[in-house]
Amino acid sequence: MNRKNRSAFRLSRREMLRLATAGVVSFSTSGWIESLAADTAKDPKRRKSCILLWMTGGPSQIDTFDPKPGHANGGQFKAIETSVPGIRISEHLPKLAQQMKDIAIVRSMSTKEGDHGRATFNLRTGYMPQGPIHYPTLGSSVSKELGSDDAEIPNFISIAPVRAFNPAAFGPGFLGPQYAPLVVGERALMDPKAGGDARNLSFRVENLNTPSDVDQPRSDARLGLLDSLGKDFLAQHPGITPLSHQDAYQRAVRLMRSTAAKAFELDQEPAAVRDAYGRTAFGQGCLLARRLVERGVPFIEVSLNSSEGAMGFGWDTHQQNFDAVKKLSEVLDPAWAALMNDLRTKGLLDSTLIVWMGEFGRTPKINKDAGRDHFPGAWSTVLAGGGIKGGQVIGNTGVDGMKVTDHPVAVPDLLATVCKAVGVDPLTQNMSDVSRPIRIVDPKANPIQEVLV
Amino acid sequence: MMRYLRYWIGAAVLASASHLAAEVWAAEGGRAIQTGADAKPAALSPAVRDALALTAKVDDYLSSKWTESNVRSAAPADDAEYMRRVYLDLVGKIPTVTEAREFLEDTRSDKRFRLVETLLESSAYLTRTTETFRAILLPEADTEAQVRQLAPTFEAWLRKRVSENAGYDEIVREVLTVRLGGRGGRGGNAFDPKAEPSPLAFYVAKDGKPENLAAGASRVFLGIRLECAQCHNHPFARWKREEFWGLAAFFAGVAKQGREDANGPIRETAGRHELEIPGIKKVVQASFLADEKKPNWNRSGRGAREQFADWVLGEDNPYFARAAVNRIWARFFGIGLVDPVDDMGEENPPVHPELLDMLSKEFRGHRYDLKYMIRALTATKAYGLTSAVGRSETASPQMFAAMPVRSLSADQFFETLAQATGFRENAPRNPFFDGTTKGQFLQLFANRDEKPTEGQTSILQALALMNGSLMTSVTTMETGDTLAAVAEAPFLDTAEKIEALYLAALTRRPRSEERKMLVEYVDGGGPAKDSTKALADVFWALLNSPEFRFNH
Repeated sequence: MNRKNRSAFRLSRREMLRLATAGVVSFSTSGWIESLAADTAKDPKRRKSCILLWMTGGPSQIDTFDPKPGHANGGQFKAIETSVPGIRISEHLPKLAQQMKDIAIVRSMSTKEGDHGRATFNLRTGYMPQGPIHYPTLGSSVSKELGSDDAEIPNFISIAPVRAFNPAAFGPGFLGPQYAPLVVGERALMDPKAGGDARNLSFRVENLNTPSDVDQPRSDARLGLLDSLGKDFLAQHPGITPLSHQDAYQRAVRLMRSTAAKAFELDQEPAAVRDAYGRTAFGQGCLLARRLVERGVPFIEVSLNSSEGAMGFGWDTHQQNFDAVKKLSEVLDPAWAALMNDLRTKGLLDSTLIVWMGEFGRTPKINKDAGRDHFPGAWSTVLAGGGIKGGQVIGNTGVDGMKVTDHPVAVPDLLATVCKAVGVDPLTQNMSDVSRPIRIVDPKANPIQEVLV
Repeated sequence: MMRYLRYWIGAAVLASASHLAAEVWAAEGGRAIQTGADAKPAALSPAVRDALALTAKVDDYLSSKWTESNVRSAAPADDAEYMRRVYLDLVGKIPTVTEAREFLEDTRSDKRFRLVETLLESSAYLTRTTETFRAILLPEADTEAQVRQLAPTFEAWLRKRVSENAGYDEIVREVLTVRLGGRGGRGGNAFDPKAEPSPLAFYVAKDGKPENLAAGASRVFLGIRLECAQCHNHPFARWKREEFWGLAAFFAGVAKQGREDANGPIRETAGRHELEIPGIKKVVQASFLADEKKPNWNRSGRGAREQFADWVLGEDNPYFARAAVNRIWARFFGIGLVDPVDDMGEENPPVHPELLDMLSKEFRGHRYDLKYMIRALTATKAYGLTSAVGRSETASPQMFAAMPVRSLSADQFFETLAQATGFRENAPRNPFFDGTTKGQFLQLFANRDEKPTEGQTSILQALALMNGSLMTSVTTMETGDTLAAVAEAPFLDTAEKIEALYLAALTRRPRSEERKMLVEYVDGGGPAKDSTKALADVFWALLNSPEFRFNH
């Protein structure tokens, strides 16, 4: 295991703390805080960011980005023209249709796994779950490459995920806790008071402030005590578990002492802007993603779980597919379109990749309950913004959508494309928990060259 | 003498300010601390001696493995480390200050056995064991609000059976054969407000679907993951799709009534034991997994689920006892003999097959008595090894040559925090949205399928532990019971106050360098120039320390 890399504690600070502890009162905070000066858009060294729009449950491709008008499988939605002649999408995505010049649709996803848990793992890590190897989720791998160890805001933020299908698919796996996402909005989803009223939904990070009677010197002293009480234990006890504790505290303190945490306070945005994204959990999550990109966070994921903003697997439309997808589209369309508009206005769209995907698609044939079932054989994902040549469609699924007739794209192909688009080498190796290096994406992957700028 | 007097008064003052007062006074019985004057129950009872025979076999086995593999085992854990560990494992929380002092000062050689016996008889053991079984049998209650709503009736049933010391086999049989509602009749509705305690929630959590029931039952009771065979024949796995659906067919008569997304009752159509594999129009009959034996549909009164239970719990079932023992082992050692515990297929063989066989044979031979296994395992040399082994690369965790650091379940952690700080809460819990302090805490610290040896701390957890309202309340003089009792104890000097906080939080006394540093800090008053606040700072640091946060 790469301990040196994994342990967030650097010797210099550790020594410093130890010295400081000798006279605890005069302990200095500088070890816990590292300042970050950033004016993101202007930074010539700015690396790219990625926003993953994760569609929990597996969205119907035919009713979103691969319409089949004139065929029984097409269902009841109309296809509309977009700003790119010849490319048509669902009538319930009108705002996105106007942005097609910056969007590439991959209509030929061809994957093998039709079980939610395994497919979720597959799409989010690039690998099938197997044996003892704990593969990291894409956000962990990518943010490890693009992020800074000293960032005030964690490099990977996950907004409102529903992890029930496969919790491991949302974690850092063998990369270790240092690359775990900061999850916000998960508890809000459980809380009917918050989830029920998305108007005031805010993904503020809780407990950022010390108790009222603990001022900065006292807080410093406490942290000094904590460090000296913990150091023997940490030196004596190997394993991920104690390391993770140490790492989380260090990062938490950095966040507490930073003004960057204001990024999470959505009420700093004008009401009109909040309205444009839609006053839904997903809409406000997209707004937060934009604020985080502005502050240089390299990987953000926003989950669309249900049209009501609660816990759910909204896209898993085995029954009443059309009602559900229409409602979900009405949440998706304004949020995503506003996100792209805002990023463009701020000069950040060229450096921000947006990925839209779920764990699989849905059956072209409509079942007896007006639903569509799981369908990994031929489905769609979408790439937009930075690093992507928009205004095009990759692949084809024929007139009935039953199978990929052109340019099949496997999971590693898609993830390798994502890596390339944000400037990360998909062949980057990380030491795994089975003591052999594993690449971010399977080396057999073929990135979709046509969509890369 | 003066020392004893101070200590006794200190303990009493500490206790009287907390909800533990009654318990402590009863334990003290008004006498000065004379530990173990009449400890009950008798220590080396036949039950203990019986279990120790298995302990010896485990010790012999692992010792020879260590020799064989040239592994040096860690040093034995001291009493404080052992005590904290066995409390967390058996009753799901750490001991009180008084309990810790008594045990640490007890000089009898059999005090560890006595401690285990005392804990096994406690109501906290019932609570902990009920919660452990609930987590295994009804994991969905941790994540699904609808199932969580049913946890009370499920837990009431479980607690009753655990208190009767029912064998694990009996508990499983009741899960598999619980009476469901019949056609058109009442019953089978776990959501009925008048529902009796029962394991019915198991069926609700599986949505009443034969395939979910079969997948869940085989994972939990047989240690086999069959889910993948549900949709296709996996090229590398042993189980074929037909075998999966053959197993599912034992639940063919089970169905949830009403709409898919509603809380309908679970009903059963008697006599059904065949299913059509979705998508391929092939009908399969209920059949046991990889077993020549066939169900006998002519036996009167044995429905499909009864026959499935008979097979799972049968003398010659190759999976059940092994799966059970492996889970118990993992509970006490952090990692199973087969890891992960629910994947005991051929492609994932046990590290110590002979040990697994021996344990399963004895567990079965002792009527699946959990207490027997607990007595045996907690007395093993391996369980009693220290976890403090330094950072140098150690042997594989499955050599069990040192105790790993294990994360606490959300429940264990909350109860431990409450025990250390004297926190209490009397608020009703709402199963849909639990707004209580405990409910919020459990939500934030839910383990989400992590292995205890790979537990990760999140930034949000660290923030809550540093700045959250619970931690703030228990580290503030006006609201923190333990802190106030220690700070205000008139007979305790600074060093003794610090010792009391160490015993409350870490179940040990401070080392001399720790004591020296902290006495200096408290006497100097810290940045606030207030020694009471400085004492609060010390308690805050102890409660946030990794040593407090883990079972080690």
